[in-house]
Amino acid sequence: MVFWILIALLTGAATLSVLIPLSRSRRGQEAAPARADEAVYREQLAAIDKELERGLIDAEAAEAARTEIARRLLAAHDRVGAAKQGGVRTGRLKLAQGLTLLALPVLAFGLYIALGSPGLPDQPLLSRLNAPAEEQSVDLLVARVERHLAENPEDGQGWAVIAPVYMSLGQPQASAKAYSNAIRILGPRQAWLTDMGEALTIANQGLVTAEARAAFEQAVSLEPSAVKPRFFLALALGQEGRKEEAIAAWQALLQGADETAAWVGAARQEMARLTGEAPAGDTLSGPSQEEVAAAGEMTAEDRQAMISNMVAGLAERLSTEGGSAEEWNRLIRAYMVLGKKQDAEQALAAALSAYADKPEDLSMIKDAASKLGLSDG
Amino acid sequence: MTRKQRRLTLIGSAGAVLAVALMLILIALRSEIVFFQSPTEITQNGVAPGQRIRLGGLVEEGSVVRSDNAEVRFRVTDTANTVAVTYKGILPDLFREGQGVVTEGVVGSDGVFVADSVLAKHDENYIPKEVAEALKAQGHWQGEEGQSN
Amino acid sequence: MIVEFGHYALVLAFALTLVQSVLPIWGALQKDDRLMAVAPPVSVMLFVLILLSFIVLTGAYLNSDFSVLNVVENSHSAKPLLYKFTGVWGNHEGSMLLWVLILVFFGALVGVFGGNLPADLRAVTLSVQAWVSAGFILFLLATSNPFTRIVNPPLEGADLNPILQDIGLAIHPPLLYVGYVGFSITFSFAVAALILGRIDAAWARWVRPWTLLAWCFLTLGIAMGSYWAYYELGWGGWWFWDPVENASFMPWLAGTALLHSAIVMEKREALKVWTVLLAIFTFSLSLLGTFLVRSGVLTSVHAFATDPARGVFILGLLCIFIGGSLSLYAWRAPMLKQGGLFAPISREGGLVLNNLFLTAACAAVFVGTLYPLVLDAVTGEKISVGAPFFNLTFGPLMVPLLLAVPFGPVLSWKRADLGAACQRLYAAFGLALLLTLVTYWAWGMDKVLAPLGVGLAVWVMAGAISEIVTRVKFFEIGFKRGFARLVGLPGSAWGAAIAHFGIGLTVLGIVTASAFQEERVLTMRPGDTVELAGYQMTFEGAAPRRGPNYTEEVGHFSIRQGGALVAELDPSKRIYTARQMPTTEAGIYTTGFSQVYLSLGEGRGDGAVDVRVYFKPLITLIWIGCVIMSLGAVFSIADRRLRVGAPKPARKRQQSMAAAE
Repeated sequence: MVFWILIALLTGAATLSVLIPLSRSRRGQEAAPARADEAVYREQLAAIDKELERGLIDAEAAEAARTEIARRLLAAHDRVGAAKQGGVRTGRLKLAQGLTLLALPVLAFGLYIALGSPGLPDQPLLSRLNAPAEEQSVDLLVARVERHLAENPEDGQGWAVIAPVYMSLGQPQASAKAYSNAIRILGPRQAWLTDMGEALTIANQGLVTAEARAAFEQAVSLEPSAVKPRFFLALALGQEGRKEEAIAAWQALLQGADETAAWVGAARQEMARLTGEAPAGDTLSGPSQEEVAAAGEMTAEDRQAMISNMVAGLAERLSTEGGSAEEWNRLIRAYMVLGKKQDAEQALAAALSAYADKPEDLSMIKDAASKLGLSDG
Repeated sequence: MTRKQRRLTLIGSAGAVLAVALMLILIALRSEIVFFQSPTEITQNGVAPGQRIRLGGLVEEGSVVRSDNAEVRFRVTDTANTVAVTYKGILPDLFREGQGVVTEGVVGSDGVFVADSVLAKHDENYIPKEVAEALKAQGHWQGEEGQSN
Repeated sequence: MIVEFGHYALVLAFALTLVQSVLPIWGALQKDDRLMAVAPPVSVMLFVLILLSFIVLTGAYLNSDFSVLNVVENSHSAKPLLYKFTGVWGNHEGSMLLWVLILVFFGALVGVFGGNLPADLRAVTLSVQAWVSAGFILFLLATSNPFTRIVNPPLEGADLNPILQDIGLAIHPPLLYVGYVGFSITFSFAVAALILGRIDAAWARWVRPWTLLAWCFLTLGIAMGSYWAYYELGWGGWWFWDPVENASFMPWLAGTALLHSAIVMEKREALKVWTVLLAIFTFSLSLLGTFLVRSGVLTSVHAFATDPARGVFILGLLCIFIGGSLSLYAWRAPMLKQGGLFAPISREGGLVLNNLFLTAACAAVFVGTLYPLVLDAVTGEKISVGAPFFNLTFGPLMVPLLLAVPFGPVLSWKRADLGAACQRLYAAFGLALLLTLVTYWAWGMDKVLAPLGVGLAVWVMAGAISEIVTRVKFFEIGFKRGFARLVGLPGSAWGAAIAHFGIGLTVLGIVTASAFQEERVLTMRPGDTVELAGYQMTFEGAAPRRGPNYTEEVGHFSIRQGGALVAELDPSKRIYTARQMPTTEAGIYTTGFSQVYLSLGEGRGDGAVDVRVYFKPLITLIWIGCVIMSLGAVFSIADRRLRVGAPKPARKRQQSMAAAE
């Protein structure tokens, strides 16, 4: 409402700036145009005298200049006589007033309604950030903490607060970074190390990378009885193909476990897979759209299993049926992440021989391999 | 002098100055402009040694070699052909492998382009227009891809 | 709400320009005082409205209101406050709003301070100014609205182009725009004069202060832009004959010609037809520059986001304003009466010469700027026209002009005695000759042209001084009376002398900085020392540093002269985090009028860096000369005679008459 009043006031002011001079009487100021010229020429005449006095021009030149200016002065004077006042014609005035009163507000309002967004409030960043927390979106809250952390990068507690939020927003990479900051500043804690490892694992599509492993190992060393890091370590052993060790780890974990715990099912499944009791990965192609979508909702552990299956399936398909260079790269990368360098090298050799006659693909595979730290020799 | 003579002097001098200006412009347009060429045009048509040209294209990936005394060698490519370039000086801020570049200089007797100025794009959204068009002519232009980083 | 208020103010201003476009000129043609009286208050109101919307946009930038698209695209919450502020005009939409603000500002100035103008001339001038304003506000609203909103605002903006994050941006565009756009008022005066059919000596007098004002700011703006490019781009060059630079330089050349021809028109009523044409040309060149820069025809740092619709729109405006005014000119100009006569050797003759060379030079720049574009459009052939072209065309045209500069003010009107004029310039000529010889003696004959250039610059400067000295006749009437006369000299005489002195200084700076510059490009490791022009520069090492929105690698150099430490320079390479864009910050040490300029290339990883070092003798004179030139314009504007002619209240008129006598 205030907005519309302000707009109306502004429009009113603009309209008045036209109407007031229109309605004011102008009598007694006619013939002004020529007077203005006259003033200029009189001044020029005076300037000639001054220049003559200073000796800048001689008398002859001064006289010539005077005649010239006098001629202009006369012409200007004549114009005063010739200039007839048009006078105030009320009809014209009415027309001008009417047009202004009507056109100005209508045009301005109409255009504004077409172009503007009248309902939209201002949203300065600071007031958005300072709004009561319950009115803010998660994004805003995160931005608030981020700003705080940008100014106080040594606030470990802040990092610890934001880390799980990143996780729930699906930004595991940022979460891991935040945990690592918290640990750097406030010292290692089991829960943080574990969560950091988990974040790193999820960021790598469920593969326990070396970095994540180190975090879990440190977590276990701080608190040997902690279940979660041991769970991931067991998973890591499975991914690395150390089957016996993995099974032993799972057994140790399951011993004396509370059978109702959520992770127990996953652990049993993983163990069963390792011991060959459950049907092993038999998918021959890559994961379908639905499977990928499902993976997003799976627990990390489930996803892990799915990825292992997928890698095995991919390897088999490529060796029997062949595939695109892209797929070979994927396989090599997956092996490297799983820590199976030997398998990766074998896959690379197979890929290179498969594409020996296609230089473009070959160079692509080589590039990808060298980025992973593999040599193609 | 009569009125007519004065006017003639005025018009005459104006004509003379304008004629001189026109002559200068024509001479300069003949001798001082620099043609823009793509690596393909240079390889196919050749360039007279000593003739100044502008060479534009993409800096070939992996081709930049810096040596001491601020000398740098790189290759400019339009994906069909490449031309080797040497330059001594400070490269512009946005000079990058795989990015557009325009260099000005002469082709030496060994076929290496000796640049005395290197221009890169002014900001990340800008690929020199000549370069973009030369690449398009080669049919290797991939739309927006080259314009954003 | 406030943002929307600003938007509304802009829309309302558009509606009001339409009213202003019609009523005052209608009144002038019908000789209706009431309708004409509308012009001044409305011109002020227009300024208030645009100012409101400009302030609102600035507020949105300062508050990082990311519900405004323009702010999202060009700002960042971590940007320093100054650059949030200057970022308002660091983009297309905002800078066009600034353009319009200055357009209506000049209208308001004429509305408020135009009391000495005839009412009809003022009314029509303001109407014409409103036509131009209406065109550009419509351009803003239709293609480049700075107030476009976003319903779901993001949390962070895209930041401002880092090259523009510099104090130079705070100063350069506003100055340049005041100059560029300021010529619009001269244009409006010219069109008004053509419409009213009154083009006489008095008109030239009334137009002069406005032309001077615009010229003054344009000079400063160009100089500032040149200095900014010099230290921000890190190439050590101060003028690149870049099309965008030319776009601002052409109106300057035409405007300079206009200033001089208006003097002839004012004093002698001669060159009327030509002066009016120049007034139209000058603003047309400003419009052309805006078109070139904003349409995307040219790619450069000035070409913000480009959009074909904008180019077409500005091209349309260009055609309407230039085409319309030239048609009006073709129709009205033949009706003008011939003015006063003059001999070829006379003050008028000198000023005609000035105009000839300036317009020829302007034409050369015009051809050099547009020829590549035309050639590309017609044949598809790509060429570049660079410094060599302009050195060959522009340079030779400037030399005779500069040679003639000292003669102008000492020649008398109508018919002059060249011998007498030469007599007054003996001293200046002697001094110029002496310094030429000294330069030859100091640098030898291997640079043939440079000492002549130095001599030319000295000739122009000494000529300006001797003009003042002979005018007050120090040597004939003694110091005391001479001093009294010195003070009593009219502002315009001072202005001319000062501006001519300034151009001499600039020429001196250009000649010395180009001819005697020393340069080294090399790779340096920490501890390495390079010797240049008597300075020993030691690279002490590099270290990373963090700025508010960038990180940088700073090289530390110590500069010694004869073993004594004279300066420490910290040139750097910055990476702006939001756009991941690098920039180069040069290290500059100013000694006297000369500078040592150091810029870094990319690091080589092993602690070594590529370094470019220059010694640029007297280079600051280039910009100091420009500042002095604009100071000359200020003196001229201050000339009280320019304010003569206040017609309305009888009391006021008497005062001004008294002042004139």
